[in-house]
Amino acid sequence: MQHYGNLHGSFVRACVVGALSLGAIPATGEAQESKALVVGRAMDFNSLDPSRSFCDTCQIYLSSVYDTLVALGADNQSLQPGLAESWTVNDAQTEFEFTIRDGAKFADGTSVEASDVVWTFQRMKNLKGSPSFLMDGMISIEARDPRTVRISLESSNSEFLNKLSAPYAGIMNAEVAAAGGAIADETAAEQDQAENWFLSNSAGSGPFKLVSYSPEAELRLARNDEYWGEKPYFAEVVISQIQNAVGQAQALESGAIDVAMQVDADTAASIRSDDVTVEIVPSYNFLYIAFAPGAKGMADVLTPEVREALTLAINYDEMVEFTVGGNGAKQAAPIPNGFPGTANLPLREQNVEKAKQMLADAGFEDGLSIMAGYPNDNVYGVDINIMMQKVQQDLKAINVDLELRPLTYAVWREELYGDGLPMTGLYFAPDYYGAGQYPAYFAMMPGTTWLARSGLDDQETLVNPAAADLYKQALASSGDEAEAIYEKIGLEMMKDNMIIPMVSPNLVLAYRNDIKGVRYSACCNLPLAELTRD
Amino acid sequence: MTAIPDIRVVPRWRRSRAVLSVLGQLPLTGKIGLAILVFWLLVLITISVLPLPDPLAMAGRRLQPPSIEFWLGTDALGRDVFSRTLWGAVYTIPIAFAVVLSAVAIGSFMGAIAGYSGRWADSVIMRAADVTLSFPPILLAMTVAATLGPGLSNAAVAMVIVWWPIYARLMRAQVLEVRTREHVEAAIAGGAGRMRVLRVHILPLCWTPTLINATMDFGQVALLAASLSFIGLGASPPTPEWGSMISEGATRFYSWWIAMGPGLAILSIVLATSFLGDGLRDIFDRRSRT
Amino acid sequence: MLRYVIKRMITIPFLLLGVASVAFVLSQMTKGDPLAALLPERMMSNPEVVAAVKAEWGLDQPLPVRYGIYIGNLLQGDMGTSFTTRRPVAQDIAERLPATLELVIAAMIVGSSVGIGIGLLSARFKNSALDIGTRGFALLGSSVPIFWSGLIFLYIFTVRLDWAPGTGRLDARSTPPPDITGMYTIDALLSGQMTTFIEALSHLLLPALILGWTVTGIVARLVRSSLLDSLGQDYARTARAKGAPERVVLLNHALPNALIPVLTILGFTFAYLITGAVLTEAIFSWPGIGSYAVTASRSLDYPAIGGVTIVGATAFLLANLVTDIAYAWANPKIKVSQ
Repeated sequence: MQHYGNLHGSFVRACVVGALSLGAIPATGEAQESKALVVGRAMDFNSLDPSRSFCDTCQIYLSSVYDTLVALGADNQSLQPGLAESWTVNDAQTEFEFTIRDGAKFADGTSVEASDVVWTFQRMKNLKGSPSFLMDGMISIEARDPRTVRISLESSNSEFLNKLSAPYAGIMNAEVAAAGGAIADETAAEQDQAENWFLSNSAGSGPFKLVSYSPEAELRLARNDEYWGEKPYFAEVVISQIQNAVGQAQALESGAIDVAMQVDADTAASIRSDDVTVEIVPSYNFLYIAFAPGAKGMADVLTPEVREALTLAINYDEMVEFTVGGNGAKQAAPIPNGFPGTANLPLREQNVEKAKQMLADAGFEDGLSIMAGYPNDNVYGVDINIMMQKVQQDLKAINVDLELRPLTYAVWREELYGDGLPMTGLYFAPDYYGAGQYPAYFAMMPGTTWLARSGLDDQETLVNPAAADLYKQALASSGDEAEAIYEKIGLEMMKDNMIIPMVSPNLVLAYRNDIKGVRYSACCNLPLAELTRD
Repeated sequence: MTAIPDIRVVPRWRRSRAVLSVLGQLPLTGKIGLAILVFWLLVLITISVLPLPDPLAMAGRRLQPPSIEFWLGTDALGRDVFSRTLWGAVYTIPIAFAVVLSAVAIGSFMGAIAGYSGRWADSVIMRAADVTLSFPPILLAMTVAATLGPGLSNAAVAMVIVWWPIYARLMRAQVLEVRTREHVEAAIAGGAGRMRVLRVHILPLCWTPTLINATMDFGQVALLAASLSFIGLGASPPTPEWGSMISEGATRFYSWWIAMGPGLAILSIVLATSFLGDGLRDIFDRRSRT
Repeated sequence: MLRYVIKRMITIPFLLLGVASVAFVLSQMTKGDPLAALLPERMMSNPEVVAAVKAEWGLDQPLPVRYGIYIGNLLQGDMGTSFTTRRPVAQDIAERLPATLELVIAAMIVGSSVGIGIGLLSARFKNSALDIGTRGFALLGSSVPIFWSGLIFLYIFTVRLDWAPGTGRLDARSTPPPDITGMYTIDALLSGQMTTFIEALSHLLLPALILGWTVTGIVARLVRSSLLDSLGQDYARTARAKGAPERVVLLNHALPNALIPVLTILGFTFAYLITGAVLTEAIFSWPGIGSYAVTASRSLDYPAIGGVTIVGATAFLLANLVTDIAYAWANPKIKVSQ
């Protein structure tokens, strides 16, 4: 097919045109220069409110509409000035002072001031929404003058700046959002009613602003003419709902969309059009299985030895082959490859004989049966069903019978906290660049999500004190020193055998040849403002 | 959902009468339908001894197109689609049978009571049937299946709930009609007990439309079961259920062969039952005229 | 006749009350905890927030009170707020209903016109290869699993042949026409946007064909049998005796009479199509209430499930009412003509 002349569906269209005797009417009549950028995506928005939303598409949207104080560089590692043109940090990494960029404006033309930052962060903390963990440990925040913000933390946190580069930490226009019903004080969690307002309005200072959103249809953005930085090339961006990988691939081939990043590698291999570029890059996402010894009747079954035996039964090479057709990587600990501390971690290996032996030693010579409940989703090109079926096949070899129960997300979460799910399969994508978010979520230390999800009333037996100590050290150090500590944390997490990464799928960036600047960002998925058309 | 055929039949159906003679009178399409169903029954019975690869285990490289070795190719886990398709009969056919049987049993029971005793039982049962029939069938099935949680048995329950009122209405109409016949009136006048009259004099004359309808509904039930699995409210993996196999194929439809086998299998069952049902109806219609 | 219609109409509100009650009871029976859908994980352990959310969504009230509130709200057109889209269910449905109507109406037009055509052909050439072939085609349509044929057609016509555009109602980069009826084809026509009209129509064609195919069999079968009936009637014989060619007898004399029963089943096909639309929409990413229902039932979004069920049942009941009225109206007519 030719360049984007929109000939797709040309036969039907020609028939329709012919049937109507309207042959003179061109099938497409849009002016070329005004053509919007269209991204095809299965949108997973849970909210458009920065302090409530938490999803992959949210990252794209928020990073395009709400500027953060600190931005993640194109190398996916370094931090760059964003709304804050500079900052200072004390040696203990507990005091942070930011100077707001002169001339930075919100989309309504008003200046970004320190008070907006204070309001945004207080609201994020008080709203207790999914991203409020970014503000964990903040004991005070104040506007010292209209352009200076000071934040104090209760303990050292070498990752605080990284956290501020997360798209959820984008700065809101306090006045506009408050007029929409947003509340920042302590009553926010109960009183804030702004969620609905955010579905049709935005209040950011980023390169784009929200035009409209219809759930499961499309999200429209327009260029923000007040943007302080380089104005984006596209005046209009549309994220169009296309549920599955095949649909996205087909829409790309026909030119209906410009960019897709949820096409799985198998499908990408079937793209025949010469007008589509397919780039396959390593991602920082991964899928894992997790155990809950606290699930009903599992306390004496999912012992550390049994868990280790189960992990030894899995063929990790085949797992990568089955889930993503080889377009992915094995991952040792629940910290993605490429993040600090992962370079030298030993990969897990299959050892069926040892697994059988360990099971026998643990008193399960005749095997055992375990239930696995997991959300019935297809994420990052991996069908979790397929992943769990592979686990099931592998466990069969050591006489472990795995009962699979794919669940809708709501039921899955309900069961997780009800009787518990002995085994589950899940996925994780980074919220920002930094290894600290992983132990804070996965490690067996007090307060983490997965310690709570383990379901044990007496969580002490699971807690790994070494991990907690190391984590504190890591937050108090930086650079190579921190990296070395994260490696130790990774080893501890592997030793716990609670969270077992299955695969880190490669990301397929598929786009029309005339689109330039497509790249994968660790914090923000797809930086829309960097894209141009030839 | 099938329309309720408007049939008033004087059935000559007796156990003594050779079933074979009825089948012999079937038109060609009816015989084809019967043959297809017999084929699937044979598959169902012999599946465990057939030389097929394990439907749950990896048989070859993943996502292979059809070949001599894998007649319908392999799926994303390298399983043989042909084997999985045949194994699908093990789930769909018994489930559809159980659903139709339960719906016929429950519905006919309710309908007989409603038609025979009249009064409040009639109102209660028929209003319940009316409300149930007010739902678009798939929406009701989806809602019930979502409520009970995914799983084939829950989907089956949902389908029985969808289907019973059809048989209730059918049976009620038959009972109402037969009740006024002379021999029934005579039996009542002769002092026979109410239940005996119902059992001996009425019910045996009421089964024909139900049977024809049940034959046709068998395919529709199989179709709805697959639809529920396709949406994710029925069978769960790795069960080689046809609907969930198609749903797996839908996420990788460049590998078109994954969905091909199960789709054709469902189609064959639906076609077969409607052929057979049509044929049976023709036979009984003809008899009722003569 | 009028009394019959009024009687039927009076029962509808009662049936709808029954439907709403069933929807409510089902929503209370489910396993999933609505809180899990409403609250982020880290807030579930915060009792104040949990209490506030329960109060906001009325989850702290006893069951009968909730039932009362639910029915009361329904009467005011308030179906609650969807857990997933976080918007009023009535608003979601109002936005999506036109898409479904557009699809179903298009499918009905396709299904009945093809059905009538097939019926005509097979009555005219009774028992010929053409008769058998077209009837087979129609039968195939009502037997094929629509979620499978949809996939196959998409694969053949969009991926392989590139004849038809992909999923959705419009190309991703196009803007919908001004909202008048919500049906893109009609709105585009009304506002004179021919490009958009053609685009919307070409997107509509494939799903409408597949959905319409499911009812061609019903229509064709009815047309054929009533045509064969009519052809045997006196007036047809008279016409033939007067030397009218078979084609004229068929089209001018038999067809008008045969179309009356077809009218009577349009309501029935409409109800049938609602069912098919759920699956068609899921395959074609058609943003109507069918795909909304699928998403809702997968995410245990009870307010949304309830809303769709009630709207679906209303449409279903109305369609059945129209069928019955048409039937009652048409039957005496047929007798008169005999």
